[in-house]
Order: sequence, then C-alpha cells, then structure tokens
Amino acid sequence: MIPAAFDYVRPSTVDDAVAALAAAGDDAKVLAGGQSLLPVLRLRLSYPSTLVDLGRIESLRGVRDDGDALVIGAMTTHDEVLHDALVARHAPLLAQAAATVGDRQVRHLGTLGGSLSHADPAGDLPDVALTLDASLDVVGPSGSRTVAAHDFFVDYLTTVLAPDEVLTAVRVPKLGADWATHYEKFNRMAQAWPIVGVAAAVRRSNGSIAEARVGLANMGSTPLRASAVEQALAGADASADAVRAATEHAAEGTHPPSDLSGGADYREHLARVLTRRAVMAAAGIQP
Amino acid sequence: MTATAERPAEIGQARRRKEDARLVTGRTMWTDNLTLPGMLHMAILHSPVAHARITRIDVSGARQRPGVVAAFSGQDFKDVQGTIPCAWPVTEDTVVPNHPSIAVDQVNHVGESVAVVVARSKAEAQDALEAIDIEYEPLPPVLDMEAALADGAPLVHPDLSSNKSFTWEFESGSAGTGRAIDDVLRDADVTVTRRFRQQRLIPAFLEPRSTVVQPQGEGVTVWSSTQVPHVLRTLMSLSLGIPEHKLRVIAPDVGGGFGGKLQVTPEEFLTTLVARRLGKPVKYTESRSELMMSGHHGRDQIQDVTITATRDGRLTGLDVHILADMGAYLRLITPGIPILGAFMYNGIYKFDAYRFVCDGVFTTKTPTDAVRGAGRPEATFAIERIVDELAVELGMDPMDLRRKNWITHDQFPFTTVTGITYDSGNYEAATDRALDLIEWDELKKEQAERRARHDTVQLGLGISTFSELCGWAPSRLLGALRYAGGGWEQATVRVLPTGKVEVVTGASPHGQGNETTWSQIVADRLGVPFDDVEVLHGDTQTSPRGWDTYGSRSAAVGAVAVSNAALRVVEKAKRVAAHLLEASEDDMEFVDGKFSVRGTPGAEKTIQDLAFEAFAAHDMPEGVEPNLDAEATFDPVALSFPHGTHLCAVDVDTETGRVTIRKYVCVDDVGTVINPLIVEGQVHGGVAHGIAQALYEEAVFDDDGNLTTGTLVDYMVPSAVDLPSFTTDRTVSPSTTNPLGVKGVGETGTIASTPAVVNAVVDALRPFGVNDVRMPCTPERVWRALQGGTR
Amino acid sequence: MQLEHSFTVPVGIEEAWRGLLDIKRVAQCMPGATLDSIDGDTFTGTVKVRVGPIALQYRGKASFIDKDEAAHSAVIDAQGSDTRGNGTAAAKVNTSLFTDGDQTRVDVVTDLSITGKPAQFGRGVIADVSNKLIGQFAECLAGQLSGIPESTAESSAAGTPAGATQTAEAKPINLVRTAGPAVAKRAVPPLILLILLFVVLRRWRH
Repeated sequence: MIPAAFDYVRPSTVDDAVAALAAAGDDAKVLAGGQSLLPVLRLRLSYPSTLVDLGRIESLRGVRDDGDALVIGAMTTHDEVLHDALVARHAPLLAQAAATVGDRQVRHLGTLGGSLSHADPAGDLPDVALTLDASLDVVGPSGSRTVAAHDFFVDYLTTVLAPDEVLTAVRVPKLGADWATHYEKFNRMAQAWPIVGVAAAVRRSNGSIAEARVGLANMGSTPLRASAVEQALAGADASADAVRAATEHAAEGTHPPSDLSGGADYREHLARVLTRRAVMAAAGIQP
Repeated sequence: MTATAERPAEIGQARRRKEDARLVTGRTMWTDNLTLPGMLHMAILHSPVAHARITRIDVSGARQRPGVVAAFSGQDFKDVQGTIPCAWPVTEDTVVPNHPSIAVDQVNHVGESVAVVVARSKAEAQDALEAIDIEYEPLPPVLDMEAALADGAPLVHPDLSSNKSFTWEFESGSAGTGRAIDDVLRDADVTVTRRFRQQRLIPAFLEPRSTVVQPQGEGVTVWSSTQVPHVLRTLMSLSLGIPEHKLRVIAPDVGGGFGGKLQVTPEEFLTTLVARRLGKPVKYTESRSELMMSGHHGRDQIQDVTITATRDGRLTGLDVHILADMGAYLRLITPGIPILGAFMYNGIYKFDAYRFVCDGVFTTKTPTDAVRGAGRPEATFAIERIVDELAVELGMDPMDLRRKNWITHDQFPFTTVTGITYDSGNYEAATDRALDLIEWDELKKEQAERRARHDTVQLGLGISTFSELCGWAPSRLLGALRYAGGGWEQATVRVLPTGKVEVVTGASPHGQGNETTWSQIVADRLGVPFDDVEVLHGDTQTSPRGWDTYGSRSAAVGAVAVSNAALRVVEKAKRVAAHLLEASEDDMEFVDGKFSVRGTPGAEKTIQDLAFEAFAAHDMPEGVEPNLDAEATFDPVALSFPHGTHLCAVDVDTETGRVTIRKYVCVDDVGTVINPLIVEGQVHGGVAHGIAQALYEEAVFDDDGNLTTGTLVDYMVPSAVDLPSFTTDRTVSPSTTNPLGVKGVGETGTIASTPAVVNAVVDALRPFGVNDVRMPCTPERVWRALQGGTR
Repeated sequence: MQLEHSFTVPVGIEEAWRGLLDIKRVAQCMPGATLDSIDGDTFTGTVKVRVGPIALQYRGKASFIDKDEAAHSAVIDAQGSDTRGNGTAAAKVNTSLFTDGDQTRVDVVTDLSITGKPAQFGRGVIADVSNKLIGQFAECLAGQLSGIPESTAESSAAGTPAGATQTAEAKPINLVRTAGPAVAKRAVPPLILLILLFVVLRRWRH
C-alpha cells in the first residue's frame, strides 16, 4: 500500500499552484485533502507524475459573507464547514450534508473543493452544490472564471476543470428565510457513501410550495437535479399527498448504477421514497 | 488450602486489562515494528486471475530495479517448498491437494502468490513488482458448489478426479445415540425443510499479518503475527525440513485474530524460504487488501435442513446436509470447520434422531478456515432459524416451542442425540431473565399495534436460545475426530528471588486479556499483589509447550493449567516454610501469601520470604530443589457448554428495507467468571461480530472469480456507531469439566446473535408472506423480499 | 460476465459487415489507443484508460478466430494486461448481423472478464471504468452513424448511457470511408477495447 513515486509540490499561492500544474503537464494531480486521492494512489490505480498540494495556501480557507452569497474557500475542511456560523445561517443544507461525509477523520482532512473537484457522483457535496445553485471560482494560467455547478460536473469523476486549473472557491447563494432544506442520505454504514442521497430545498408560501429544488446523489454519472419533481412541486399544496404525487417522478431521467449496494431498480425506488421524505422534512409536512 | 477472605479475591474482580496501555497506544512489539540489522523487505505479486496456468513468468526485469536484491518465482522453490499442512483431514479418505506457498505452474484463486521481490526498502520492493512479466492461460473458474460437484464440471485441481474433498456423515441410529433418522422422517407428523446460506466472511482483525524471518547459522527465528506459535513451529519444521530444535517461533503482541490467524500461512513459509535462500533477515507485512484476498475466509456453506415434530410440538428428527466451500486448498483445519458444527445442530433441544452429512467442495476461491465460532455459528443459525419456521408451521409461539423441547436444568449432565454430553446449564433462568430485561410482552403488544395499523416501520422480535461447545479439548476426543493436535495446555509459575512472579503460558493470547486474567488467578493462589505477576507467552523458547488460543479454550484449559501450577508452588513453598519454621506441614496455614504455624503466633513466612530462602538455598528441606517454581499440564475430561438467551428487536422500514436494531438483550451463562469486565468485552465484541454476519458482511466473487469486496469500502464491517447499546446479564452454571468451573466466552456472542437478528427481521416481515431473507439482510435484500423476489 | 447487445444501423448488411468488422476504421473512435503492430487478423496495441485519478494502461492483442462471411457472423478473441500488473482483460465476442428491412441488426454476445485491481477495489470501479471508456467510444461512433439519415442505433437493454444519445448529432464521419494509414497507425486498439464498445449499450450488472 505504498504509492508509486511522484514529485511533490506545496505552493503557498494559487498562482504558484497553477504554474506548478502547468509545468507538470497532464499527469499532475491536485492534492486537496487527499481523502479520495490517497486511497487510489495507495492501491496503485493512479500514477501521477506530480502532486500539487494546496494545503498551505491560506487564501483558500475559510468562509466569508459576500452579500447575496457565501464564498467558501476550496480548502475549507468539511469539519470547518459544518461548524461555521455563516454556513449554519445561510446554507444549513451544506452543513447538514457535510456532517455525513465519511467519518470524523475524513471530515477533518477532506475539503469542500476537493470533494467537488473529485466529482464522485456518490459524493454528498456535489449533490448539495448542484441543489443550491452554487457557482465555482476556477483559476488557470489564462486567468479566472466562474462556472455554475450545473455546468461543472461532466461525467463520472470528471469536471470541466482543465489539468492546469484549480478550483479556488465555492459561491453558495444565500437562501432567504422562507426557504427550508433537508439532506436525506441512505447508506448501510455510518461512514459509507450514500446508496442514494437526496438534497431538498423548499420555499413555502401560503400553505403551498412556491418553489423546490431537489438534487440526487449516486443516481447517474454526475449529481443530478430531479427536474420533473421540481416542476411538479412548483405551486403544489404543501400536503403529504401532493408531495407524494410529485416525488413519484424522482427517478425520471436518471441512470443509476448497479453495484453491490443495490441494483438500478432499487435505487430508482429509493430515489422516490427518499425524495418524498426529504421534501416533506424540508417543508415541515408530517407524514 | 488457598488464600482466603482476608483480602478481596482477585477472581471475580472487574480489573482493567494490564496489557491495554501498550496495546492501544501501539507502543509495543508488533511484528511489523521489528527492525533487524541488514533486514530486507519482501513484496508479493498476487495472481489477479482465479484459475489459470502460468505459461510464462520472468522476474528478471524486477532484478534491474533500484534497491532490488532478489526476485523469485515459484520455479525457484518448487523442489523445496513442501506443502502448507492440513492438520485435520476429517475422514480417512479426505482429498488433500498439494498447497504450495508460491504457485509454480497453476494458480487456483485470486490472491495466490506467484512471485516475490526482495529489496532494501518496502517501497522499492513494491515498485519492482511492476517489472515482473507473467502470462496466464485462463482455466474456467469453479465458483458454485453444486455445479462443482456435477459430472463433467471443470476441475479446480486437474490432477484430482473431482472437486470433492470428503463426505463426513453422522447418523444417530447407526451411532447408537438415537433412533434411525429415516424412520423418524417417515413417521413425522410435521416436516419443515429449509435451505439456508451461510455467506462467506473475511476476518477483519486490526493488525494485518506480518512475518520477520532471521536465519542465523543453522537456526531460524520466525516472528509472526499468529495465534498459534507452537503449531507453526512444529508444522513448519515438518513441512520445510528445518529441525525443530533449530527453529524458534515468536508471536509478539498480536493485534487480533478472530480465527484468521489460527493458520500456518503460505506467506510465513514464503518469507522463510526467501530469508534462508538469501541468508538475510526478511520482513513481509501485508496490506489490508492483500489480506482480504489471501488470508483465509470463513463460513460459506449451503445448509439443507429438515426438522420434524409431532403435531403438538415435540421435536423428533433433524436431518442436515451441508455443502461446505473449502476454497482452492485445505489449510490448517479447513475440513474440520463444518464438522465442529456437527455436534451443535441439535442446539439445546432433545431429538429422537439426527443425521448430519457434509460434503467438502473445492472451488477457485480463497481457502476457508476458522472464523470466530467456526462451525458452531452455522449450526446455531440453522437450528434457531428452523425452530422459528417450525413454530409458524405448528401455529405455536416460538418461545413455547423452545421451552417444550429444551433440556431442563435438572437434566444435566445430558447426553444429546449426537452422543456428546452437555455439562451444565439453566436455559429457563437465562431465558426468563432476558424476557424481563427486554420487556418482551410490551414489545409484543407494540408489534401487534403496528401490524394492525400497517405502519411503514414494522417491529420484529427474534430469539436465539443457544449453546456451544468450547474449550477445544480433551486430546482423546480430538484424536477421535482425526484432529492432528492435542487439547491440553501447559503453564509454569516461577516465584523470583524478590518475590515477583513469572507465569509462562502456552495459551498465547492475541487480545483476549490473558495477562490480566492469569495474573488474577495467580495473585489469588499465591496471595501476591496482582501487579507482581508477569505473564510470559508467545515465544517457543520461553514458552516451549502449548496449543495456543482459539476455540474459546484459553480460560477453560489454559487458565486451569496456570491455577494448578500455582497450587503446586504453594505446596512446595509449604514444605520450605514448615522446614524453616520447624513445624509439621500439617500445622501450616496459608492465608494472603503468608504461611503461619497453627497455634504459634509470630511464626510465619511470606511467600516472598520463602522465594528468597529457596533462591539462597542455605537451608532447604531434603529433596526440595532450590526454587519456588512449578509447572502443570491440564487436559480436561470433556468439553464445556456455555449457553444463553439472546433477544433482538428490530425496526424494519418496509419502504427502504433498512433494518435498525432497537434493543438487544443477552443473558449468557459462561460458568464461573474470572474477570467480569473481560467477559463483558468478549460478549459485546462477539455480538457485534454476529450482527455483522446477519446484516453487513459478505465476501462477494464475480463470475470470473474476482473478489469484488476487496477493500473495507465494499466489505462492510460495522463499527460502534452502527450498533445499538447492548443489554447484558449473566447466569452462572459452573462447568463440571474443569476445577475453575469456567466455560469459554470468546465466541458465544458471535454464535448466538446472528440467528437472533435474522429471526427478528423475518418476524417483522412475516405478515408480508416473507419466510426468509438471505444474509446479510441488506436493505436491498429486505426490499426485494418484500417485493416477492430474492437477490 | 456475459453481455448481450443488439442494435440497428441504417445501412445494408454487406456495408455493415465491412464497416463494423473493419477494425482500423471503427477503432479510430477509441480514445487513448496506440497500435503497435498488425499481422494479418491479429492486432497488438495499447490503450490508456483514465477516469478521474484512475489510470490504467492495457497492452494486448486481438484476432478473429472465426469469420463466417456467409452467415455474417464473426468471433473475436482478445486478451490484454495492464502494463503495471494491475490485472488482465479478456473477451470473446460473437457478432452476428441480420437484415432488418433496409437496415441491419447487429447482435453481439460478449464474454468479458476483467481481473485484478479494477475488479477488486472500491465500489465497482470496473463498471465505471468500462462505462467511461465505452461512453467515449460511443460518442464518436454515434456521431458516425448519425451521418446516415434515420439513425436508429439504440440499446435493447435498459439504461442507454447519456453519452450515446447526447452526441448523436456530432459531425458525421462516413463509416465506410477508407481510412488513411495515419489513422490506422494511431487508432487501432487491442480488441478488448473494441469489444468494450458494445458494452455501452448495456449497463453492467453483477
């Protein structure tokens, strides 16, 4: 369980990190906590020529208030996210999901940016970023750009990030006081990835659901939005029956995997049940 | 004449374990912590294919890599590597295939060693594995036991005529232990037949296996993370031709085993072969993923079980047919594992007739062998599950059916339909206590309410009233079962000149807390402080005799030897004391470590005084050697039989299939308890292990024979956060087969808990027409059972 | 594992026969492939597979062990191994073509075995790696087929991956055009990977 040899660079600025990546070429990898990368290295399923460790770039850590949005540094750990007061107030869904990532050790080392860049469709946080309509600040040799979460995740373990680009910050729009959220994770053991995870955000207005967003983890090669459910919920009664009817659409447009934790049909079933539970919990509807 | 009530007895005290500080901090001698001058590191290339001929292998590329000292393939050892020994061919004609420690021209399971690299560092050795050139010609994998036994099935070992290793049979009519089974089956009022599947398990001890071998002159010293240093020494000597007196085996502190280190491993042999070839010390420490595919697995049986009863619920017959997956080879006691269960299928019940037939089957999978419980969990699962199914068939309450048929406390000792005699027990008392603790009647009421209102979350209640055989002994019985080893245990107690005490035990522990338990016994016997006792173990040079730790035998056999040796020390000390105090031995009293002369105040000698006097030997009685040392060997007259009642309440979410254990109560009877804290710890760990089989763990192979649960990501071992808080209690029925009255406890929880949980799951689903869920009862399996399907 | 697929291409059976079994041409879609040599019906080459941080490089060979021109069926045998010893891949592919109106139905039965680390470690990496690989291939192939009107390439099994349909309107490449030597040089993969292309049409099941 010893990785193959690689060069190790630990820059102290983003520019240096980007320069190091550009210099190292296609086989470089960013180390951003390492909770997914290191196991793959140790199993020798990955042979990067260079690891660029972002762990010493102070500007990539912490949460700040930026008016309509929170800006969370990419190297902010899950543990920092789940204990942050700004996140608790303006993006409690993110805190709730971060608290379910891996185990305590993983949460102290793993980072939000690392998790999003790894783009595991079974990850908890890509799903939440997509649900919250987060946007992602990316820096490369030719400057910086901001990418919507919707455009960021391309495929299994694949994002729009070029090999020499670094995710620097996650912009999470604040949800108003009329929004409520819930993350429903279904797994077999406490530290495991979700078999299916559902992130729900609901805006209630006068006894009905004005607007809803639903994100699904592990239901395809990227995190997905259950748009059929969102459409069905828009303007629906805030009642158990209405939610049940709307969430029957949860598996539409998904392509869930079949693996040791469950067949695709079981995941489709879970998506419907868990989406119903997540939306009801967020909307405060009793079953 | 033993220490008495002046100070509190050590036996029975919940002492914290004296060995834990060093074990939990890791500041101790784990094998991998050992570094010897000039030591080299070995890395192993494992077969990625399940079944293939090796058509070409070239290790020369590896030799060119930086830091590499040597690289070998099986060709380099084919004439000297002997075979990994099997010590338990269960029948006269058991087929035992040759088991090389490194494959020569064929591989028979994923993970088998095919080449090694030896380098100055572990990293360099691992890097160089990539330069080994090897070509496989695939052979068809043999994965399904029933298909493997069919005519014309591809053979795991082409040189053998079939994939069957043995057929082992017992039948009560012909054995004279009961009626003929066929008569009973024919005449039965009620018959229930079920097929149960014991999934394959992988023991998940904390410390992966590690071996360091130091050749010196003609001698060889082997450090290994093993449960069985004594067995390893003898068998390695026989198999590799190293004279036993030139071979020293040391098991330093060992980080768990659960049966997984009750083995003489290919890796130990291979490290030894390589070290001797190079004349240099060599270390091999496996990774977790190497362990998962190369270390032995357990369980993996298909159980066809038929039970018969009279219409009013009296059990009459039990007919059991087992297919047991051996894997590709027979390891140390592979064939014996299912046979250990043969004497437990009848559980705690009285039967008229019993038959047990087991076929051992070769497949192209990792070999199986002991995993905590070894044969007895399978048996207990089958009987406790099918009794529930029979209760449904009879329309009886499952507890009433059990009560009607179990051995009552006034019937012990009781010889069962297998011919084995249970020593003691009180099933009524344990069961009544457990029912009280869990508030059974309240739960029954809640269950009825939930069923009536079609609650999404249904409540299931499961019972396991179990017994098990433990204290793997006596030697005579083991011999009768064709087990190559003995069942005695040996101990030496030495009082050093300053009064401190060394205890040498042959029952080398690997996490059981024997240092604490043995110290408590010796402190009581000698009247010395607990902290003055040091327990030595695990080195064949300091502890040359013993049969090691497995099968819940340390306390039931090893502790008795320790106690007996200590009593002999007291006898010897008494002679010295009487001599020095010029009194008759008959007038000596021994209380709290002090000898005094009855009726002569002030005439006394502590055992510490006597130890120094014996050391100086200025004035010893005639014929007494100048020390306070004694040894003892203990071979019990029979096995002992712990028992208990485990009750489990589960919530089953019928929408998702998730099973959540709400309450778990167990009342165990393990005879006399030496240290309640250690017993409690064993019960907790054991119950967790059994729950893991019921709900979580399964080694899965795909159609090509790949182990697809090759890491702890996919092989799910639950941790404390996944488990409920257990409620435990005890009844005490001392064993009658050893003077301490102790029974084993290391495996009881594992044996008992699995059927309690699965019975609870099935009970919850009963209203939906479900009568079984295959283990592990994953959410998906439960959901599919509810959909009327299986997966 | 055995995989069965069926799809229809909007060309006549003879054209499809030539096209689908002309490895040089079809293989130009295979990402990361490098040809080492061609010897009659036997090809050797390497393919780099990258999925996120996971990197595998298979080297191997493939050949037609049976070609039945009259029945329009062929059997391809392919074997390869990861160049760092991470495992092997082997496949036997039975491909049969049937006339379906003015189109051609292609039935493919694949016996695929992948061994070693990709099969053993971590949440079904094998399925993901294969899907990824084939997804990329299918993207290209679907583009080629879409150049012909009324393309009906689709799966007989549930769950056609997104890649195949999303890119159905990519720029057309004539399936039966003559490949230049440069293309052939670069693009011919060991057939294990050609075979994997068919897997795109059906998700992995265990």
